[in-house]
Amino acid sequence: METTSCLLTWIIFSPLLFALLAFLTPSAFEGKLRTLTLVQTLFGAVLATVLYFNFDGNQAGPQMAHLVAWLPEWGINYLVSIDGISLPLIMLTAFVSPVAILGTWPAAGLELKKEKFFVIMLMFLQTGMYGTFLASDIFLFYFFWEVVLIPMFFLIGVWGGKERIYATVKFFLYTMVGSLLMLVAIFYMLKVSAETAGVANGSFYNLQTLHFAFDGSSLQTVMRSPQTWLFLAFALAFVIKVPMVPFHTWLPDAHVQAPTVGSVFLAAVLLKLGTYGLMRIAIPFFPQAAFYFREFFILMGVIGIIYGAFCALGQTDFKKLVAYSSVSHMGYIMVGLFAFQKIAFAGSLYQMINHGISAGGLFLIVGFLYERLHTRTLNEFGGLAKIVPVMAIAFMIMTLSSVALPGSNGFVGEFPILLGAFQVNPFYVLFAGTGVILGAVYALKAYQLVMLGPQTRSDLDHLHDLNTKEIVAMIILTIFVFGIGFFPKTFFGKSDVTLDQYSNSIINKVGPHGP
Amino acid sequence: MDLNTAFPLVALTQSEVLNLLPLFTISFGALFSLIAGTNKTKGRGYAFIMAFSFLVLALFQGGYLIFSSDITLLGGTLTFSPFTKTLNLMIMFFALIGVVLTYGQDLKEGLLSEIYALILFATAGMILMVSTTHLLFMFIALEIMSLAVYVMVAMRRNSQFSAEAGLKYFILGGVASALFLYGTSLVFGALGSFELSNLELALRATSQPSFIFFVGVGLILVAMLFKVGAFPFHGWLPDVYQGAATNVTAFMGAAVKFTAFIALAKIAQNLIFIETVPDLKWFQVFIWLSAAASMIYGNFVAISQNEIKRMLSFSTIAHTGYLLLGLYAMNQSEESGQSLVLYLFFYALSNLGAFAIISLFEEKNQKDLHIEQIAGLGMKHPVLGTLFTIFLLSMAGIPLTSGFIGKYGLFSSAVSAGEIPLVIIAVLTSVVSVYYYLRVIVYLFMKEGTEDTALYQKLTGASVAAFLSAAATLHFGLFPKTIIHFIKMIAK
Repeated sequence: METTSCLLTWIIFSPLLFALLAFLTPSAFEGKLRTLTLVQTLFGAVLATVLYFNFDGNQAGPQMAHLVAWLPEWGINYLVSIDGISLPLIMLTAFVSPVAILGTWPAAGLELKKEKFFVIMLMFLQTGMYGTFLASDIFLFYFFWEVVLIPMFFLIGVWGGKERIYATVKFFLYTMVGSLLMLVAIFYMLKVSAETAGVANGSFYNLQTLHFAFDGSSLQTVMRSPQTWLFLAFALAFVIKVPMVPFHTWLPDAHVQAPTVGSVFLAAVLLKLGTYGLMRIAIPFFPQAAFYFREFFILMGVIGIIYGAFCALGQTDFKKLVAYSSVSHMGYIMVGLFAFQKIAFAGSLYQMINHGISAGGLFLIVGFLYERLHTRTLNEFGGLAKIVPVMAIAFMIMTLSSVALPGSNGFVGEFPILLGAFQVNPFYVLFAGTGVILGAVYALKAYQLVMLGPQTRSDLDHLHDLNTKEIVAMIILTIFVFGIGFFPKTFFGKSDVTLDQYSNSIINKVGPHGP
Repeated sequence: MDLNTAFPLVALTQSEVLNLLPLFTISFGALFSLIAGTNKTKGRGYAFIMAFSFLVLALFQGGYLIFSSDITLLGGTLTFSPFTKTLNLMIMFFALIGVVLTYGQDLKEGLLSEIYALILFATAGMILMVSTTHLLFMFIALEIMSLAVYVMVAMRRNSQFSAEAGLKYFILGGVASALFLYGTSLVFGALGSFELSNLELALRATSQPSFIFFVGVGLILVAMLFKVGAFPFHGWLPDVYQGAATNVTAFMGAAVKFTAFIALAKIAQNLIFIETVPDLKWFQVFIWLSAAASMIYGNFVAISQNEIKRMLSFSTIAHTGYLLLGLYAMNQSEESGQSLVLYLFFYALSNLGAFAIISLFEEKNQKDLHIEQIAGLGMKHPVLGTLFTIFLLSMAGIPLTSGFIGKYGLFSSAVSAGEIPLVIIAVLTSVVSVYYYLRVIVYLFMKEGTEDTALYQKLTGASVAAFLSAAATLHFGLFPKTIIHFIKMIAK
């Protein structure tokens, strides 16, 4: 693992360079800042594409590492690298960003206040997200993990809805509780690393080789094992972000209050930080503890699926419905990760991407409707399909992706998860499968209330269909929905070797029937 | 006549004089500033120039001399090692920011030109305090520092709060000083020395020191906990922070706290963290409890404050708690001492910056800035709003800022020392602190301004000080390698 390229560093910090450019832009050009953001996100997509083609799919380990000594005294380095697990998430971030910018382009006369501040926060947010996915040092991971909070805090708090302050403070505090306990666990791991090797080393590859004592013979010994507490500290931080029931209450507030672009980033990428953390740190570093508690997390995942679906079903606010559908869909990932099955691990990774696409798309649709009709109440729409056919088609595609119709991307993720979970306990799949049905019910209900049925409003004459930018955004998402749906190998093939090795090593560690 | 008999200081060797040079420079600077300040019309400006230029000179001297050989003066009373010299440099740096901060503010608040000389006198006291290992000498240094600060606190002559604060601080501080002195005499009575290293040797020789020793150590500990503002000896702190002119508050929160904590750390290390004397563990338990109580009390009370300076003063109690945690961890690991210095330095930087911003929005003689008054300020003054945000995030310990590095170092060394329960209390209470720091940011950026919103007071000094502190906060937050490396090196 030598330093071979600075490409990853470019991906992480190029948004910041653009942010500097935006900061220096004189106020006379304030109207062009959105274009600058679009250029920046497209540049990110280009870099990600270059990355994708340079990525060697036959190699399981980390690639393209870039190491800069940062705080060698404390065993902390700037170390970034990519493997088959980070790659799809980087691609997701890189392609969702331009889509989010295109899809939320403010109409003439509806420009946001403080546009400069807004775009700088958007760019800052991307740096944080790329950094979290690419960091290969535990300190660096934590650093970016926390940095993501700052722009999101402002995006919700300054440009959000009526209850934005409550929502944004809640979002920030929830995340902080988890991450500070994670910080204590990081201290402990670095301490053990220093005791083992003489010097502390926070790189993931080094930490993975450490063994933390775990004795699963009785609850008492489990509670006395350091691995248990390390795992729980990390898991708490990550499941709050996922969010797993019962730590999900920040999510509907944050989503409903956030501006559309914030919701898109939140749903498409930020929630994945949690599941990515579980997949990258909590499970492989503490496999025995994770395995010991797997039933609990699967149960919570299943509860999340059903509870989220029922909550979504009961909503009259369209945005809240999509937010609760996120709780439900993220539940599948929890089930998949803690099933400890090869196929379910892969399914979880796919589901992260797929949920990013479908939830991002649905939030964009909510945004289109809100911008045109200034309401999100489902009963105040109705019969829009005749007036805005293109939007109706786009909405339908996102709905199908969300309900995991075979042929759409959603199916590619949920099916392997359920298949893997079935091998563990068919009982869970019975309940999780109910969630799939409920998912179809609420998604189609939303579609029906908005697009079909009689028209309930009289002010629809001025309602215009999607404009070019919005159409482009939806086309990009549609390509991914059906592309992944029909040719999953093409999109996820480069992750196969990594996933294979990843699940093998974990399943070997916990043994065929557990420790 | 022989010079040596007439003026015994000449007996100092060349290297001794060299090491004392920054101290001389500051003392002379104080005197010159006092004289320059007598000018009727431009006294403040002249006094500022004197204080500023002598401080810069002292900083250069200190920086130049930092690696000159260790020196012990006055029969072991004063020690100048690279470590103490670095601490001195930091103190001079805080004083420099304090002086810059006062420029402009002095006119607004009607502070007399003597404030500059007082800052320098206090700085001289601080330098002596961190350089000495002699308890009696430490008392004198403490008094040099404290007396100057009492006057500074009471210097807003037209404000009744300032007078109240000054009197409160003077009386309570006097009691604390008396306790310190009495404790020192008891310790001397028990072990026969004022010298901390000798005391430690004597303690290690006898595992059962007499009862009056414990009374003495207890009194000293209480006095020092008072000076650093730890629970339950924090009562004076909010009123004094509020009543003093904001530039004085900033200087107190940074430099006085820094000095008092270094002195406390020295005393604790030599008199309390002695594993051969089992009974001393009660004092350790007391430090533990005081740390936990300071964090919990400071953070929870700060939530309900609606006045910014008062809120920051309660948050300072919480930070004292974190620092006491680091102090307690020094019991087990030497590294905690380095983290403690680092945290103190970083905290002082953001503290100076935050109060600098507050002073930019305070009206003349205003006791405190109400939180409603900062509504919408961040949008109106984006640069100042951003700077304030940086300082608050730094105090909250969010990455990108030096406060995070400081907190990380402090807590991680405490975990290495095995103090996990206290660290967990610290991180959970610091989530509480995030709430009230965010509340200020929310008011800055997310609320609409009203007619009550404070007006920007044009103060060159405070703006420069805020920029300086912000630059340092960000720099050390992103590139902490050099300073950590440096502190590690000199600590050896």
